[in-house]
Amino acid sequence: MIEVNNVVKTFELSKQQRKENNTSEKIATAVNDISFSCQPGRIFSLLGPNGAGKTTTLRMLAGILKPSEGEVKINGFDIEKKPLEAKKHIGFLTGSTGLYERLTPNEIIAYFGKLYGVTNEVIETRKEELYDLLDMHDFQNKRIGRLSTGMKQKVSICRTMIHDPEVVIFDEPTSGLDVITAENIIKLIRDCKSKNKTVIFSSHIMSEVDLLCDDLAIIHKGKMIFNDSMQSFRDQMKAENLTAEFIRIINEAKQSS
Amino acid sequence: MIFTIFKKELKDTLRDRRTIIAMIVIPVLVFPLIMGLITQISSSFEEGQKEEELTIALISEDPGNKLITSLDAIPDSIGPKRFTFMTDTSGIRKLINDDSVQVAISIPSDYDKQIESGKSVPIAVYLKETNIGYKSRIKTYLEIIESSTRSERLAKLSIAEETLDPLNTQFINLSSSKEMIGKLAGGFLPYLFIIFGFIGCLYPAIDLFTGEKERKTLETLLTTPIDRWKILVGKMLVVVTSGIAAASFALFGLFMALNVFELAPNAQIMGVVNSILSLPFIISLYILLIPLTVFFAGVMIPVTISAKSFKEAQSILTPVNFIIILPAMVGFIPGIELDFTTALIPIVNIVLASKELVAGTLSPGLMLLVFGVMFVFAALAVMLSRKRFERESNVIS
Repeated sequence: MIEVNNVVKTFELSKQQRKENNTSEKIATAVNDISFSCQPGRIFSLLGPNGAGKTTTLRMLAGILKPSEGEVKINGFDIEKKPLEAKKHIGFLTGSTGLYERLTPNEIIAYFGKLYGVTNEVIETRKEELYDLLDMHDFQNKRIGRLSTGMKQKVSICRTMIHDPEVVIFDEPTSGLDVITAENIIKLIRDCKSKNKTVIFSSHIMSEVDLLCDDLAIIHKGKMIFNDSMQSFRDQMKAENLTAEFIRIINEAKQSS
Repeated sequence: MIFTIFKKELKDTLRDRRTIIAMIVIPVLVFPLIMGLITQISSSFEEGQKEEELTIALISEDPGNKLITSLDAIPDSIGPKRFTFMTDTSGIRKLINDDSVQVAISIPSDYDKQIESGKSVPIAVYLKETNIGYKSRIKTYLEIIESSTRSERLAKLSIAEETLDPLNTQFINLSSSKEMIGKLAGGFLPYLFIIFGFIGCLYPAIDLFTGEKERKTLETLLTTPIDRWKILVGKMLVVVTSGIAAASFALFGLFMALNVFELAPNAQIMGVVNSILSLPFIISLYILLIPLTVFFAGVMIPVTISAKSFKEAQSILTPVNFIIILPAMVGFIPGIELDFTTALIPIVNIVLASKELVAGTLSPGLMLLVFGVMFVFAALAVMLSRKRFERESNVIS
């Protein structure tokens, strides 16, 4: 369960950043008063063009950034007031994640397991399950630096799931992956749903959203412009397909702002 | 949890070839190599100097004068030589320049007469002083002749040699040879520790902070349920360990150079050095070294946290390296001593305290003060690192 209430995130701009963005404002608002909730057993998709504030929002959910205003609750724990308790329930995976190149999959999985306070025995059993599921046994002792992108992605998945989180946050998880590798992620997201986990993922690929999600939020320039179920998105659709509808909604928001 | 992070970061660091080179290979090899090279060069240089035969042009209208016969009588054990005779100095510059003659000595034609009448005879020696060793060889030859001539003159005047030497001064050195080495060369040891401590910290500091940011692994680490300060401390301990390891390996290399490869200039110095490298000395040195290395780590880490790339971190920290080396050089300036003022200046105090430590003259009060000052500076540096690490803009690219 994720609850997001009136969250705002502002950044102070340095002189150089102001110059680059051609603005005299000292403060930039990345996320502007958004609220939503994600339920267990449902897949929530955060949709928006590049720079809309998707990553900033998900980073606040994961406790990497602190909201300037508002509150985020993970399974009832306020991420700011009880960060360690809240973080224990979160699995976080981004498409741009790196892995420690000089370590092996086994070492990385064990390291993250320990950081989440999982006992050695549990780490071993979960690891075996995940290795079976993802077919990872062959390269478990090879250094990450020598693995292919697909293999690395599997290690990242394994790393995200080793503490069996109830809330899983995916930030553009398939970006830069070929369809075969992306398929692992799609499977993982579906698997999380079937295990009654709370899943949120950000994307700008409409087909992926269509395939997976139950609830949908669209953000543009930090503001929420749509928040409802996928079904009602389809029902309200004015354009001929989902991608066209997404573009239409964004353009409408651009004009009104 | 800090230990889990420390263990992982240490493993990661030890698998980095650059760190291994900076932390182990260079420190271990540097002393055997430098000392071996110096011994080799200086001994081969001395050998060459001694054996080289000098061609000396003797310029005089009287080739049978006493100076020439005395020169000829000087044994070859002081340096082999042969003579060519000339009557005037014209062309001598060319001969010396093309090295067919190394030295020319111009002797007045009435040399014997002037000596006989008790005069001081002008002797001109032509040579190129860029050829090191020629001047001292000729000086030695001429001093032998001058001294015997002086004795002859004194005998003729019936004056005892002591008459002209009224004071027979003897200096009795009460410094132990340990103190001598401590004061003269003691600055070298802390200098070495500071340089290697710094270099040892450098790569892990960049790799574990900037590197982690650059390789996009930091974000994931920050989503784990671990307090940020614990992550910082775990990483910092690896940086400090690496700095201390580099300094220790340098010490080990020095020890090997002296003991195993026997590269010490002479046995006496060897004995003194061995007596300096005692267990209490090494323990005291580490007591000073630990806060120093923490201070280094604390100075580097804020830079490596805010740097966006490995290159950026490196280009900022290279000048910092020079700032660190400058106070370390103070150890080589004679006359600057550890007192209640110098004990307050970081790095300088470590250099001066280690010098006293080598000489065995460090008072416990001053050592405590130096440790306390370094501890405070280290703590401030760590606090600065923590503040930087907590700042969102520094951590997320």
